[in-house]
Amino acid sequence: MQIYLPIAEMPVDPLVVIFMGGAVGFLSGMFGVGGGFLMTPLLIFYGIPPAVAVGTEASQIVASSVSGVLAHLKRKTVDFQMGGFLVAGGAVGAVIGIIIFRYFRAIGQIETFIAIAYVVFLGLIGGLMLLESMRALFRPAERPRARRKHRSAEWMAAMPFAMRFRRSQLYISPIPPIILGFFVGVLSAIMGVGGGFIMVPAMIYLLHMPTNVVIGTSLFQIIFVTAIATMLHAAANQTVDVVLALLLLAGGVIGAQLGVRAGLKLKGEQLRALLALVVLAVCARLLFGLVTPPASPFIVEAVS
Amino acid sequence: MRLLCSILGALALLTQAHGADIAVALTDDLVEVDADFAGARLTLFGAVTGVDNPADTIDVIAVIQGPPTRFAVRRIERRNFIWRPGDRHFVDSAPGLYLTASTRPITDIAPLPDQAAYNLGTDFLAFNAVSPGESSEESDHSRMFVDAFITEVENKGLYLDQVGGVSFKKGALFAINADLPATTPVGEYEVSVYLYRHGELLGHDSARLVVNKVGIERRIYDLAHQQPVTYGVLCIVLSLLGGWAAHLAFRK
Repeated sequence: MQIYLPIAEMPVDPLVVIFMGGAVGFLSGMFGVGGGFLMTPLLIFYGIPPAVAVGTEASQIVASSVSGVLAHLKRKTVDFQMGGFLVAGGAVGAVIGIIIFRYFRAIGQIETFIAIAYVVFLGLIGGLMLLESMRALFRPAERPRARRKHRSAEWMAAMPFAMRFRRSQLYISPIPPIILGFFVGVLSAIMGVGGGFIMVPAMIYLLHMPTNVVIGTSLFQIIFVTAIATMLHAAANQTVDVVLALLLLAGGVIGAQLGVRAGLKLKGEQLRALLALVVLAVCARLLFGLVTPPASPFIVEAVS
Repeated sequence: MRLLCSILGALALLTQAHGADIAVALTDDLVEVDADFAGARLTLFGAVTGVDNPADTIDVIAVIQGPPTRFAVRRIERRNFIWRPGDRHFVDSAPGLYLTASTRPITDIAPLPDQAAYNLGTDFLAFNAVSPGESSEESDHSRMFVDAFITEVENKGLYLDQVGGVSFKKGALFAINADLPATTPVGEYEVSVYLYRHGELLGHDSARLVVNKVGIERRIYDLAHQQPVTYGVLCIVLSLLGGWAAHLAFRK
């Protein structure tokens, strides 16, 4: 069976797409990550035009984050005040991200740009995660964090407009969350990710938010920022494929449930090492595509 | 019934003419291609008059051309260890789709000068590839991009010679069958038919038809391109509902 994706303008096997959504959903359920940074490259490997992969993935992340945040709302583990500042920065970041995206689309280099952005970020994140989990696996006694924490707290205290964040039990300036939100918003629009893989560590290690509100607040801000990115991609680039998004969502929901169950059977450090290897494998595959000669040396496209 | 009428009408017109002639009769001048599967088959009918046993002695070549389109061709080049697309070269007003269908291979039917004169077959299409800031003179560079263009559109099924795509049905009636790829462009098409006997052109006729895509996929495409803001809102609402439904489905 085949169906025709209206925006990607190509026929696909819906079962394969649902399975891809399920596979990434499984990983995201198992590791507790959003999965956008795995889904977008997978869609590109499958042959979806990279620009459509990014725009569509933004809308799918809206859906998966909504289902995630509802559970956190019930447990009251969302800091709306902090989330608001992150969204404010994220909205501006998403607009800047779309402007960058459109520039590279106009000069015809968007595919290359997306691939390079992914290689850099997946390489960095995967490498850091692998180092960190290896250290934890082989030398579990070591804990050298205290000094760094102190230094970044001083830097934070020097910022103006400090205010109280009740749910996070913090008294800090809103400027660092706005800057953080901005940065993640740019990434979100350019790469079709939620940015949780940067947001969560930054909230813990830079903003010193308590870990119990980090995930819920991150999901809260991801919903808004990816919804804005979806809107901008749809309006400015016409690269959001709603059929593709719904197929991915169907698979992703089921996969995530199975993944959560599988994740309970593995230890945290093992999980992180495994995820690091998956991330590095995707990074290597993208890098391979960039540095090896293409199968077909020419691209032909109709110009309107 | 409509089909029969139009073919009979074409035949009636033809019998007034002297000698062998050809007419192409379209069952409908609007062809709606369903866009929800991998491709579609276009069937057109025509008739030949003034010839006995046309199936044994007559050859027919049909050329179906889609709306003139501007194509950009780019070569993937290596710069700083990375393979990426180079500058655009443009192929102007090439048919968006070019299919030939014939009773036998075109080279067996028509002499070379005719093939060149009437652009019979993808080998005889003449284009120029022009890049901004470069003169349109015929050069090796330009020819390389034209060749690449034809190879790519052939691979996509947009340019195709279909031998055996024309077959005689009953007496003077013939059918043209052409496979359209899923990426078939919409717009005004021209169908030309050429009647040959022993390498000699006996008659020629052409007709216009409009190819439209229908189906839910096409409507989504139109909405996304004509009302992008509405479409964006729709995408977000669907995502919110989808996420909420997922939450309800797996609530413990």
